[in-house]
Amino acid sequence: MWSVRLQFLFWRLIKSVVVLLAVVVLNFTVLRLAPGDPALVLAGEQGAADAAFVDQIRADFGLDRSIPEQLGIYIRSLATFDLGLSFREQRPISQIIGERLPATLLLTLTALAVSLLIGIPLGALAARRPHRALDVALTTISTAFFAMPLFWTGLLAIILFSVWLNWLPSYGMVTVGIPAGGLAELLDVLWHLTLPALTLALFYVAIYLRVTRAAVIEVIGSDFVRTARATGLPAARIWRQHILRNALLPVITFASLQAGHLIGGSIIVETVFAWPGIGRLAFDALLQRDYNLLLSIFFASSVIVMVFNLLADSLYAFVDPRIDAGPAPA
Amino acid sequence: MFPGHWTKSFAFGLAALACASTFAYAQKSGGTLNLIVQPEPPTINVGVNRLGPASFIGSKIYEGLISFTPKLEPRPELAESWAISPDGLTYTFNLRRGVTWHDGKPFTSADALFSFQKFLPAVFFRAKLVLSEAESITAPDDYTIVFKLKAPFPGFIQIFEVTGGTIMPAHLYEGVTDYRTAPANQQFIGTGPFKVAEWKRGSYIHLVKNDAYWDKGKPYLNDLYFHVIPDANSRSIAFETGKVDVLRAGDVENFDISRLANEKGVELTEAGWEFLQPIGYLHLNNRRKPFDDVRVRQAVAYAIDRKFIIETIFGGFGREINGPFYSTKLYRDTSVETKYEFNPEKAKKLLDEAGLKPGPGGVRAEIELLPLPYGELWQRQAEYVRDALGAVGIKANIASVDVAGWFQRLTTFNYDIGHNFVYTLSDPAIGINQTYLTVKGDNAGTSGGNVQGYSNAEVDDILIKAAHQNDAESRAKLYSRFQEIVTRDVPLIWTHEMVFPTVFRNKVHNLTLTGLGTNENFADVWIDH
Amino acid sequence: MTGLLRSFVRHPSTLLGLAILLGVLAVALGADLIFPGNPFRMVARPNLPPLSPGYLLGTDMLGRDLTAAIVHGSRVTLTIAGFATVIAVVVGTAVGAIAGYYGALIDDAIMGITEFFQAIPSFLFAIVLIAIVAPSRASIIFAIAAVSWPSIARLVRAEVLSLRNRDFVRAAQVGGLSDMRILFGHIMPNAISPLLVGASVVMATSILIESGISFLGLGDRNAVSWGYLIGTGRTAVRMNWWLSAMPGLAIFLTVWSINLVGDGLSTWLDPRTKQRPRP
Repeated sequence: MWSVRLQFLFWRLIKSVVVLLAVVVLNFTVLRLAPGDPALVLAGEQGAADAAFVDQIRADFGLDRSIPEQLGIYIRSLATFDLGLSFREQRPISQIIGERLPATLLLTLTALAVSLLIGIPLGALAARRPHRALDVALTTISTAFFAMPLFWTGLLAIILFSVWLNWLPSYGMVTVGIPAGGLAELLDVLWHLTLPALTLALFYVAIYLRVTRAAVIEVIGSDFVRTARATGLPAARIWRQHILRNALLPVITFASLQAGHLIGGSIIVETVFAWPGIGRLAFDALLQRDYNLLLSIFFASSVIVMVFNLLADSLYAFVDPRIDAGPAPA
Repeated sequence: MFPGHWTKSFAFGLAALACASTFAYAQKSGGTLNLIVQPEPPTINVGVNRLGPASFIGSKIYEGLISFTPKLEPRPELAESWAISPDGLTYTFNLRRGVTWHDGKPFTSADALFSFQKFLPAVFFRAKLVLSEAESITAPDDYTIVFKLKAPFPGFIQIFEVTGGTIMPAHLYEGVTDYRTAPANQQFIGTGPFKVAEWKRGSYIHLVKNDAYWDKGKPYLNDLYFHVIPDANSRSIAFETGKVDVLRAGDVENFDISRLANEKGVELTEAGWEFLQPIGYLHLNNRRKPFDDVRVRQAVAYAIDRKFIIETIFGGFGREINGPFYSTKLYRDTSVETKYEFNPEKAKKLLDEAGLKPGPGGVRAEIELLPLPYGELWQRQAEYVRDALGAVGIKANIASVDVAGWFQRLTTFNYDIGHNFVYTLSDPAIGINQTYLTVKGDNAGTSGGNVQGYSNAEVDDILIKAAHQNDAESRAKLYSRFQEIVTRDVPLIWTHEMVFPTVFRNKVHNLTLTGLGTNENFADVWIDH
Repeated sequence: MTGLLRSFVRHPSTLLGLAILLGVLAVALGADLIFPGNPFRMVARPNLPPLSPGYLLGTDMLGRDLTAAIVHGSRVTLTIAGFATVIAVVVGTAVGAIAGYYGALIDDAIMGITEFFQAIPSFLFAIVLIAIVAPSRASIIFAIAAVSWPSIARLVRAEVLSLRNRDFVRAAQVGGLSDMRILFGHIMPNAISPLLVGASVVMATSILIESGISFLGLGDRNAVSWGYLIGTGRTAVRMNWWLSAMPGLAIFLTVWSINLVGDGLSTWLDPRTKQRPRP
């Protein structure tokens, strides 16, 4: 039984690598198709664009080679995790990403955790008596938060909690001047994390609330639960062992879908709250035609998604004995 | 401020320094100043990148030979004194002794020589152009550098402030051939009053006092923090809640600046831009129909209400202008200008004369408008211009471009009307010439260049002659004739003289002391604490 | 149909959603009647606050009427979101149906493609697509559809998978009907209901994506949608809060109502009734 699962995971791993490669090729092609020459931007920043200058910049970055050649060079360097230099900053991209990625992961993973911690119990609660007052209230309110544009919620939150109440900071990840390392910095970061993470979490709560609610309702109505009840098993035990365990499966699916949003989805929150993350970095890189950097961010995001998917699949294979070698569920 | 007097520059230098040093009350040492830099620059090495954000921060770390007073007289920085020969061909700078780089090595003429001979011409196009006017650059001893020009060039002294003539540490670039990509560029070693303590990407840049600074007792401040805040509202809130002490134009919307300036303990100043002299431009593509016809260009000038632009779009910050020269420019001659007041009826008549009669729907011509992709303010201006042109029958569509796209289209003459603003700098030879000299070929080179494709042989002649004209009166006559021609031809529209307000808490002093304003090195800035 | 209406009426939240949605649609359709002419003329003093005489929602920084802008903007927003949804649904349904029906290698290949889209941060990818093709109504529609179709494909695939082994399908296969006929004539009608719910989610998300893109400044400057209005007003939230708050409110109400109606639909399609296929 285990060898079947391991085989399954192995093939998933191979597939992941293929998909990763496809991501790289697609993004590379898409970005190279973009109008606007990165060399021109650089030249513009340096005060002029006389032909010799621009040509030299292009040669420096290998932009004068053919596209397939550039792609080949790029893939080869990716294989050794050499992400190259950023056009604009002239620094190793791995360094740049390393500076900004932790901030985003801190934000989005916290938001994910909070939304799971709030959404799942509330969803289960709502599912116990569907269409009654509590359910209607919970679904309507959570839907409301899902409907609010993130920047709107963010700005309102800042005005309420920072400007009027002065409880929480309005921007940034740290207060300048606090010495690095140690408890002071940790608390400072947590204090800054509160508003942005909550804003993002409120948005996601709705998803997990609804998914849990739907899954729980479905499971409650299923045959084996009714049988379990009929045989007199204590309600709590039914909940733990049967209902929740089965209802968690679609939640895991959704949470792993979330992985794709861990990086790109934080752009707006990072912009509004001046959170120094990689989402905002990607956006800036796009506007500045710093394609090397943008490509690498896509690559990093895809790697994270792969990891998450593998984790989710492993969890799934572990939790649900019905899944073995059949087609993966949606 | 006439060029001839600069031979007495030594006395001038001292006098300027003395004026700057007399205060009514004593400065306090210590304290932290919080400012905003937006957007975050890719580097703070001013030698490599001199755009707004980079020069804002880099000007505290690096220095030039001189700086400029608000009246645009040179004042000493790394050069203690200087002399210009009466024939205007030889510039001798006497460099300051006892100056050390942030890494402890001594500053000598070798660094200046390296900067002007090798580094700057390789990385900065305008420096290359101006320095090519020099026949030779030599350093007779460790503390002197001499420039011999091929012909007199009164504007030459203008390039020696920190952004035009950054002094770079020669010892870090030994053996380097490609200066643009040299790893040493990341080290940010300068001679300035502040050095880099920490750059937390995405969050802030922290500069600390340089204890070994050559001006003993300065800087007064201990720390400078440049906060990175991507959203305009957050920046406004940061100032309101006391997290930052200074807001520069562009950090927040102009009407927000007015609102914040009204708060208690907050002051506003329009000073600090005397050196850069920014002017708003509306380029009309002279190489294409319909703007190849001067009557159509004049019609556009009549169709736009520039008072509205200043009052409503720029929140009252701006001054009216009718020609290519900023109000503080020496050679400005408003008596020869052709003025275009806001008069849509006159505009329509001119369009009729030019053969652009109204067609179906009242549309005489359809054109594309290239906005300046720097933010909402400029977008609004584009929308206003679209509206104003629509009122006289010219249908304008606003193109969607980002900075790279805008730069490319503008410099390759691929647009109809384009928005821009340019720092015209104090000497026309350095700031203005490239905008009006004929461009051969398809590339204007830079967004401050002749992107409208204007070509007038007499103007070419005048500008080149005037650049090398040492005699003040003759120079003034030449520039008067230039203004006369150019305001008649109106190859581009000067929308307004830009005023960049700075808002700060009144505990901060000497923020805009010199003609460079907040782009000065902040050695003299102090906080009342 | 009567079952649907009865189900709606029994749930106040769904009714509320329906009412709001119908209101929004009415405003969008009647825009030219309510505010004839070009809504972007500069007609009044700039920066008038809401409830100024004649200008219910105030004016913006160039003196343009915000109420007229929001009313006309509803058309742009709903059109962009609508077209994006239709494209996403058509593509997603086709892909998902084929994957679910034929299974095996085809399914694997198609699932690989959807996974591939999953691996890319969708909002970021949409922005990149728009920046590349230059912002315009068409490019925004295309970009939103490009990142939205995978969820529909997954949904349809799951439905088809669960339905393809049913007796009535077997019967049709034995009876000699062509694959396409079975797929789209028999299986899909039973999948329409969850598809509708999925489509409503895509519609709602499309509006949010469009507004997010405009907030960041990448929207189409010539097509004034709600997101665009928020974008132009975003630097002025502290002073002219209504310029961002009002369009934001419009977005919120529309998205919320779409979600509530979608919820109502999915309630009507209680899992227990879903099992009964309509041959």
